[in-house]
Amino acid sequence: MSVRLLALIPVAVAISLALSAAVDAVALPLFLDTTGTILATALAGPVVGIAVGALTSAVNTLRNPTFWPFVVVQIIVALYAGFAARAALFRSLKTAVPAGLGLGVIASVTSTPISYFVFGCTTTGGIALTTALGKALGLPPLGACFFGSFVSDFGDKAVTFALVATVLHALPRRTAARFPLALRAIGAA
Amino acid sequence: MRTLHPFTLLAVAAALPALAWILPAPGGGLATLLVALSLTLTPGASPGPAGTGISRSWRPGLVVFRTALFTAAPFWLFLLLLHDVRTTVAIGLRISTMVASFVWLAAVLAPDRLVEATVARGWSVTAAYLFAATLSAVPVLKARARRIVEAQRCRGLSPRGSVANRFRALRALALPLVLSALHEVDERTLALESRGLVSGARRTSLAPPPDRVVERVVRWGLLLLCLAALVRRLA
Repeated sequence: MSVRLLALIPVAVAISLALSAAVDAVALPLFLDTTGTILATALAGPVVGIAVGALTSAVNTLRNPTFWPFVVVQIIVALYAGFAARAALFRSLKTAVPAGLGLGVIASVTSTPISYFVFGCTTTGGIALTTALGKALGLPPLGACFFGSFVSDFGDKAVTFALVATVLHALPRRTAARFPLALRAIGAA
Repeated sequence: MRTLHPFTLLAVAAALPALAWILPAPGGGLATLLVALSLTLTPGASPGPAGTGISRSWRPGLVVFRTALFTAAPFWLFLLLLHDVRTTVAIGLRISTMVASFVWLAAVLAPDRLVEATVARGWSVTAAYLFAATLSAVPVLKARARRIVEAQRCRGLSPRGSVANRFRALRALALPLVLSALHEVDERTLALESRGLVSGARRTSLAPPPDRVVERVVRWGLLLLCLAALVRRLA
């Protein structure tokens, strides 16, 4: 791994964790905690993305221990973002948002068994409340848990993909060209 | 506790939640929770890098204990909302063990000692750099995010109103933060290259934490205990 990619990893992890301040300011029901993973993957490929995802989970675990089992979701996100970058799905918001919605479905399918079997669907307040809503709607326990995860992940991943696409297009070409996958991700190579 | 080898602290913090999930509920979860909570009361479990804070109404020795309780409490509420009492107790004890173990770990584990321990163990400088640089970059970028929020507010940005307005505000807040962070990658790359950092290189540890034989035995003992409990549970 080159020194540049090594330097990218801690910065990408910090981006994931620092964006919570921006989300808190606008009071939207989003996490954006995979932004660094998706951005690093779009810039440098899935290996760097997986490293960012694992480190993000590790650092988040010091704040809230329930994050660690979800490291699997971060790895899935990195692999999916790698596919999206190679397919140039970050070339516009019209392609990035549907790709993000697809990731929302995959992420909720992946996180539901972890959330259900390990934590009884109580990982965060928001997910617990939407799970309770799903239960009130008559869904079985696992279905209600998926409903909770889906509601939180679906929009979040679409917004994250849109944000990463915006960042990639806002990056000067000379800066983008220093990363191996950036230009291909936006369809410029 | 702080004088223990970082790997021993990690082993204890990993073994307790593992045993909580492996051992039959509720007895197993209760036993591991009692051990984890007693650890939070041990000397040396101070607020630490997790930023647990000190309240005047609590004795400093109880700060970690209180943080563990307050972090675990919402899970019990959500579990009661979603499950019957029996399931709530079973899962709640396990989650509380996990929370108490990690809150204790965050209080007693000094990141610089962990880095020294990994370097002394012969891990590559890459792993040590990633861990140390991440821990130092997170608070820096969080502070920058707060400054950007304040600066944009001074310029008249309103983060409230319609959903579309909030998304526009989110873009105005997130984009400067992410772009400035990416430009920082260049500076970090130059700094690392000028210091001759090469992926896979080994560094000499200046102050390696002492790793006593007793601690090594404890670590292997914990691993064997977890495996034995798992085999017995599956049998």
